[in-house]
This record gives sequence, structure tokens and C-alpha cells, in this order.
Amino acid sequence: MLLELKDINKTYNNGQPLHVLKGINLSIDKGEFVSIMGASGSGKSTLLNILGILDNYDTGEYYIDGRLIKGLTEKQAADYRNRMIGFIFQSFNLIGFKTAVENVELPLFYQGVNRHRRHELAMQYLDRLGLADWAGHYPNEMSGGQKQRVAIARALITGPKILLADEPTGALDSKTSEEVMQLLGQLNQEEHVTIIVVTHESGVANCTNKIIHIKDGVIGRIEDNRAHQASTFGTSTIMK
Amino acid sequence: MRDVFTEIWESVRRNKLRTSLTGFAVSWGIFMLIVLLGAGNGLQNSFFQGGDRFASNTMQVGGGRTSKPYDGLSEGRRIILDEKDVTLTDGSTFSDHIDQVIATVSTSGTASYGKKSVSVDIEGNYPERQQMEKIELVAGRYVNQKDIQQNRKVIILPQNTAESLLPDNTPATELIGKHIRVGTLSYLVVGITKSDRMRGNNMATAPFTTIKNIYGKGNEIEDITFTFHGLNSQAENTEFEDQYRAAVNLRHRAAPDDRRALWIWNRFTQNLQMNTVSSILEVALWIIGLFTLLGGIVGVSNIMLITVKERTHEFGIRKAIGASPWDITKLILAESVTITAIFGYIGMFLGMVVCQILDKTVGQASMSVMDEKIAMLVNPTVGLDVAIEATVVLIIAGTLAGLFPARKASRVRPIEALRAE
Repeated sequence: MLLELKDINKTYNNGQPLHVLKGINLSIDKGEFVSIMGASGSGKSTLLNILGILDNYDTGEYYIDGRLIKGLTEKQAADYRNRMIGFIFQSFNLIGFKTAVENVELPLFYQGVNRHRRHELAMQYLDRLGLADWAGHYPNEMSGGQKQRVAIARALITGPKILLADEPTGALDSKTSEEVMQLLGQLNQEEHVTIIVVTHESGVANCTNKIIHIKDGVIGRIEDNRAHQASTFGTSTIMK
Repeated sequence: MRDVFTEIWESVRRNKLRTSLTGFAVSWGIFMLIVLLGAGNGLQNSFFQGGDRFASNTMQVGGGRTSKPYDGLSEGRRIILDEKDVTLTDGSTFSDHIDQVIATVSTSGTASYGKKSVSVDIEGNYPERQQMEKIELVAGRYVNQKDIQQNRKVIILPQNTAESLLPDNTPATELIGKHIRVGTLSYLVVGITKSDRMRGNNMATAPFTTIKNIYGKGNEIEDITFTFHGLNSQAENTEFEDQYRAAVNLRHRAAPDDRRALWIWNRFTQNLQMNTVSSILEVALWIIGLFTLLGGIVGVSNIMLITVKERTHEFGIRKAIGASPWDITKLILAESVTITAIFGYIGMFLGMVVCQILDKTVGQASMSVMDEKIAMLVNPTVGLDVAIEATVVLIIAGTLAGLFPARKASRVRPIEALRAE
């Protein structure tokens, strides 16, 4: 198993204690394309933060590729995030004063890769996503779809074990959403990238091969969706 | 390294006005520091300009008036030193500290050359005096041993006295080798000294023995000058002076602790006091300068805090994709140090330019006091040492300014990045 969560519990203590994750058990294998679905407040964001080593959990065990992720220092956590996880965010989270190629280079900068090598690799990834001509442009000169593709290039450049996508289509129109989901599907199929998409849109979840439903901090149903028939709206396009 | 500067440049470029306003405060601080220190140096240099011409370990002693009754004699009595005081000074009593002892006698009269005449004070001196007081000769020579042995009637004139004996626009050196008259006697001019009325020795000089034999009253002398060693602190000097005063006073039947009966001018302690004053001045200037600079530093710190606030989301993104807290700290510290250093250097450069301008203007001007030109500021500039110290101060200042904002930035949680704006 690539990812393994054993009885993960998480409570927020802001005034009134809030038990957000109530014993999550979950395994995700290498090369899987899964979505985690749930309404807001279901705990899916918290789960994503834990999966992405952005937040700690209280009890339980979380393994990535057999390595226990617990009690890390900030520096270690940063290093693990950098090498093992690629993030794709709803609002793209590109750095506005950096060009597309500079944004893609950034994870390698924190690995201490030299400038030329960094640039070369970043250009390769942009080219693969069809954005080579846009390398010198700033994010505010690009469309939402282009921005998300830059973000995907940035997430892929370190060759991460998992790609974590948090509502990757949340800021996109339905046509672009579909393109982005197709791109993710392609990456999964052709390059066997393990992808976890967190969403509340059933259409988006329908594009993945496995749908994990989370509700009130516990895992509910796990649907096999290789036929992509889960959503009645998902058969033709992603409904917005 | 290049990456760090690229990042800084990007950040600065986005906030040009803000950065330059903050930078101005730093520039101003270091500018003030440099100008203050430069002016302070100028002031000190003008203090010491006279002082360092004397051998610093000499004391001069002269008779005064008693200020209290003693041994049946009333106060207000004049004390006149004589040759026995010289013997006492030179003798075994004080041989632990006193090295060379010389005495002077003096007289006054009217010197004339051709049709011109001028009144002069003549001091009878020993050759050693030239060394002790670092008397500077414009031309010719000072009193020598043969003058003393043979009671030669030779005279060394100060430049201005020599000039007033000659027709207008004739250099004073013309007078060397000529005979002038003083009273009824004829003296051969052998040397010309720099005139310096401020130091009170604008006197003509003749051999001690000549003056004593012609004008002297018995064994009376004017004053005693001696060099000493082994007295290194104010306290040691005061103790020695008290002992010495007591010995001389008792010879003249004056109270041993009567400070007015015998005046002692100790150049060593005077320099010591001047050094203390000047180091206090320097410390004060540094403090004022540093406090001015502090204003700039607070400004930088403030700006960096705002920057950190604005860039919270960005730092979150950076952390999410793998920046460690130290990476973020480094970014802010480097920016703070760079801003401080660049603007500090501009300020330092301008400060040095102003110091040079001061040197060329006020530094050349002088006040006239008692016919003597006194420069107000002598070389009011700062040296390489101050430039290096200021650089160190700037780097420390930049680091301090960035420290708090950088800590704040490094604590940004990467989850921030996931929050939609």
C-alpha cells in the first residue's frame, strides 16, 4: 500500500472541542485515481491536510510508502511535502510575481537544484502540458485552465508519490473542468501517477476510478467507479 | 545567492515607494552618524593640534603667592624660585621619577634693528628645552652648549618679532646672522622660531647663562621644567605633585599644602583629561548617531512586518511546496539586510561627501584669537575604521530589523495556502 491510515483521530480545540476525524481507516494503492467526497464540514479538508502533511493528527498512524508520518519537525515535514506530494489547489496558488516557468521551478529551488537544470526541467513539464509558449507569462495573463495546468506542472516536477488535488475544478467553468479532469485521468492512466481528488462535486468524483464518501468524520461507502457511472449528471459532462 | 537576490529584487520592485521611504530613514541615520563623527573628529583634532607638540611627560613649575599663613608668616607673600629649588628637583629626593631638569630666567627690553624697534620678552634657556617643548625652528638654530659655556650674546627670535624689525615684506630669515640691539647690548640673531602666542611662549630665547649673568638677581629663576617617568595615572601624578609641592613650599616657608604658593603645570595629566573628554565626546556622538539610526531600523522592521502580512498567503504556498521555516526566515532577513545595507551605504557615502565639504570649507576657516589663527575643525573626516564599524553596525541593524518579521513569517502555517482568498 502506498498510503495507509490507521484509526486517525483529529480534534480541534478552538473554544469548544470539535472532533473532526473519528477514526479514519483508509488504504490507497500505487497508481489509484480516487476521489474523496463529502459535504462541507464532513472533515474532508482536514483529511486532505493530514494526507498532505500540512497538519498533524492526534492519534492513529499514517504511512506513506511504509514510512510513518508522525511527530515530524517543520523542516522534515517541508522536505517530505517537497519530495513526496504534489499539490493542486482550487485557487491555483501560483505566485503572482513569478512567471509560469518560475512557478514550476520553485519546488526544485527548495531541493537545491541548480538554476539551469531547474529551468530545463520546468520547460519540459510546461511543454508536456502544452504551455511552452506561455512560460514567460505571469499568472494574471493566463486563463483559469492555463493557470491550473501550470499548477499541475509545478505539482509534477518533483516526481511525487501522490498528487493531492483540493477541489481542482472549483474555480473553473464546466468545459475547462472537464479538460482538467481528463488531464488528471490521462496522467493516471499513462504515467501511473497516484491521484487523490477532494471534491464535493459528484461530476468531478465521477471522473475518478474510486469514490470514497466521508461523512461526519468517518469513512462511509467506498464505490468502485471504473465504469464512471456513479453520477447521473456525469455521463456527458461535469455539471456546474 | 543569485536566487536570493532575484527574490529580493522582485519584492522591492513591487514596493518601490515604500522601500525608498524606509531606505531614506536608514540613509539619514547613518548619514547623521558619519557627519557627527566626522565633525567630532574635527573638533578633537583641533583640540590636540597644540597639545601633541609638547613632550607629554613634562611638568613646569613656577612661584606664586601664598594663600595661607604659615610658620609665622602671613598670606599673600610672593614665592620666588631659586637655584636651590633646581638642586632639590634634580636631587635624590625625586630621582625615582624626575629625569631632566632645566630652569629659565627672563627679562624684557626693547629690541631694535636699523630704524625699527619692538619690545621683547627674552627667556634664558638651556638647549634641552627645544626637545622638551618641541620648539619648531623656521630657520637657523636653537641655543647650544657652547652658547651656555661662553655666555654668548646670541638670540633666537619668533617669526613675527623678526618681521616687525625688518622692512615690510622682507622674510624673517633675512635677520639671521645680523646683530640687533636689546637695550644697550648687541645680540647676534642665530635662529627664527614659529610664532605662537596662544602657547604663551612667543618669547625671544637666549642662553640661560647670558641672561642670568646680565640681568639676573642673585640665584632667582623664573621657572623649572622637568621631564618625568613612571607616573601613569591621575592618582599617581597627584600624589607626586603633592609631595613635590610640599618639599618646595617648605623650603620657602609656605604651607606644604598651599596650592597657590607653587603652581604646577602637568602636561601629562592635562593630556589625560583631554583624552577623557574626547573619548566621552566620541561615545556621546556614537550614541546620538546610533539612536538616529535606530529610527531607521524601526522603520525597516515595520515595513518588513507589513510585507510579511501581505505575503502570508505566498509563504503558505511556498511552505506547502517544500520551503522550510529557515528558507522563509532567510528570505526576510536577506531582504532586510540588503535594504539596510544598500541605503546605509548611500547614507554613508553622502555623509563622507559632506565631511569632505566641511573639510574644504569650515575646516579651512579659522577664528582669530589673540592674533593667533585657530582652526575650528581640523580634518573633520572619518577614517576607514569608522566606515568598517558602520558597515558592521548596518549589518547588525538589518538583521535586528528583520529578525522579528522573519520569525513571524517562518511561523506561517502551510494550511494558509489552502484557504481560498
